[in-house]
Amino acid sequence: MLETATQGIITGILMGAIYALIALGLSIVFGIMNVTNFAHGDFVMLSMYLSFAVGSALAWDAVATPLITAPLMFLFGIITYYLLIDRTLRQMYVVQLAVTVGLQILMRSAALIIWQAQPRALQYSFIQGNIQIGDFQILTSRLFSAVVSLIFIAGMAYFMNKTWAGRAMRAASDDLGAASLMGVNYHKTYALTFAIGSSITALAGGLVMSFQQTDPVGGIRFGLLSWAVLALAGLGSLPGLIVAGIIVGVVESLTVSFFDPRSRLLGVYAIFILVLWLRPRGLFGRR
Amino acid sequence: MNVKNFFNPRNILILVGVGIALVIPLIFKAGQYTMLLMTTVLLYAILASAWNIIGGMAGQLDLAAAAYLGLGAFTTGTLLIRWNITPWVGMIIGGLVATLLAMLIGFPLFGFKVKELWYALSSSALVVVMQSLFMMWNEVGGPTEKYLPVGTSPWYSLRFNDYMPYYYIMLIILVVVLLVNRWIRYSKLGYSLLALGEDEDAVEVLGVNSQSSKLKALAIYSFICGVVGGIFASIYGYVHPAFFDTSMSMEIAILGIVGGMGFIYGPALAAIVMVSFREVLRASLGSQLAGLYLAVYAIILIVVALYQPRGIAPLVERGIKKAQTYFVELTRGRRADIKSS
Repeated sequence: MLETATQGIITGILMGAIYALIALGLSIVFGIMNVTNFAHGDFVMLSMYLSFAVGSALAWDAVATPLITAPLMFLFGIITYYLLIDRTLRQMYVVQLAVTVGLQILMRSAALIIWQAQPRALQYSFIQGNIQIGDFQILTSRLFSAVVSLIFIAGMAYFMNKTWAGRAMRAASDDLGAASLMGVNYHKTYALTFAIGSSITALAGGLVMSFQQTDPVGGIRFGLLSWAVLALAGLGSLPGLIVAGIIVGVVESLTVSFFDPRSRLLGVYAIFILVLWLRPRGLFGRR
Repeated sequence: MNVKNFFNPRNILILVGVGIALVIPLIFKAGQYTMLLMTTVLLYAILASAWNIIGGMAGQLDLAAAAYLGLGAFTTGTLLIRWNITPWVGMIIGGLVATLLAMLIGFPLFGFKVKELWYALSSSALVVVMQSLFMMWNEVGGPTEKYLPVGTSPWYSLRFNDYMPYYYIMLIILVVVLLVNRWIRYSKLGYSLLALGEDEDAVEVLGVNSQSSKLKALAIYSFICGVVGGIFASIYGYVHPAFFDTSMSMEIAILGIVGGMGFIYGPALAAIVMVSFREVLRASLGSQLAGLYLAVYAIILIVVALYQPRGIAPLVERGIKKAQTYFVELTRGRRADIKSS
């Protein structure tokens, strides 16, 4: 009993760090541009497919594929921004919903056309295997991915606070008018923000591909998980994102080990809905 | 409502549309496949029109249509399978069960002022929650299909050999839902809902109870979805947790938006045009490349949303107005000439 719980918590913490990374892209795009990208989960799905394509074509390890997929997703983000998102900024909020859901259907069917319906996975990664600590085991792939995620989120916090581009992004999120007067071109800043958010999913996708397979409808799960993490964390707090990711990961993992594997998302949604009711700003929200 | 007001160009168009829909199956002797497609189109038209009440009028971006539809389907199916209760009763009970769930969710959501994006997300999550719950609940749902018995009388078990009866049932429901839309639109509830969509705080100050108005809209919407779910189960002849479909729920909302939020006939029009188009695409492209028809469909949805952000109903309105002034000029043309000279 206690052992199962501890094992569940360990697995949950590791998954949670990865969830935080998956939610990071969404958090940046939503927090800075106030753009609600309903297709975020499908960005992760697309990244995973790209990882699969690169990994199987070049016989690379999944965790190395972001070296190629991240620039690709950056480009995809810029194209998506100028083609679609930029045109929805001055529209009613519902137009953004319609356009991003349309994008979601488009990405899903594109994945279906290119890679067909059956799930795709890469060869076992070099970080496969597990570490035994006492009675508990830790999957090396998860541990590695979690550590990379945490380092990357810390790096992102540094970027947002210390560099001009990062400060410009935050300034644009605080007061678009004032930021424009200070010489921040918001089209460019927004395009950069969206592209960074999109390329982060490439990193996340590569890490997840080291221990999971991908299929065309897998985006729904990542999308809703990310929104749950974001709702729990609130906007503008990167450490909060990590804590929220870990809470979501642990709840999911404990539901699986104590209840029923098929109910893995129920606990997550229960928290999600409770947070919406009780703390709409999240646990660590700035606004 | 007097007779003269009723026969305005817009209503005449709607009446002509319903008339065409009535006779199409009789004239063309459409095959079973075509009948199923047309029934599906009507299903989407009903759901999008129902969505118009909560989404278009009340401004709440509900993405849970399939949660209520699925619940209605499972209620109707289970009542028929276990206790041999006719779907005619079952679908009403299904509608009520769906409403009950909607109230349980909606009461705290609206009470805590969850809105916009977060309302949309929590309603979307509801569909996934319902799917997992019914996947685990083996007595009623479970991973295998539960088939509805045909029984002795097709009218009792609502299980027909062809799709024609379903088509007409759907058509009747669509007309009823459009009338309900119209009735709500010009009632006190409709005006409060429209105002809520604009500025909730201002409306509260004026003494409108926003929570109860939104709850009423949600109740009507979920009841319609639940009832339609009952027929949905009868058409397909089984119930399965895949009925709780997130993509379908989102599509309903998009059709409502693309149709023109708040316009009575807009969502139904969008559903009829877009879903027919999707099915034609599926029939022509589906065999060549799986997913291609959906990609084309998605691109068209995006283009319409970007270039016609208020929906296609305002376009139709403009056309109607042009036609109206044209006819007025035609009939009064001579008199106007005399006056000007």
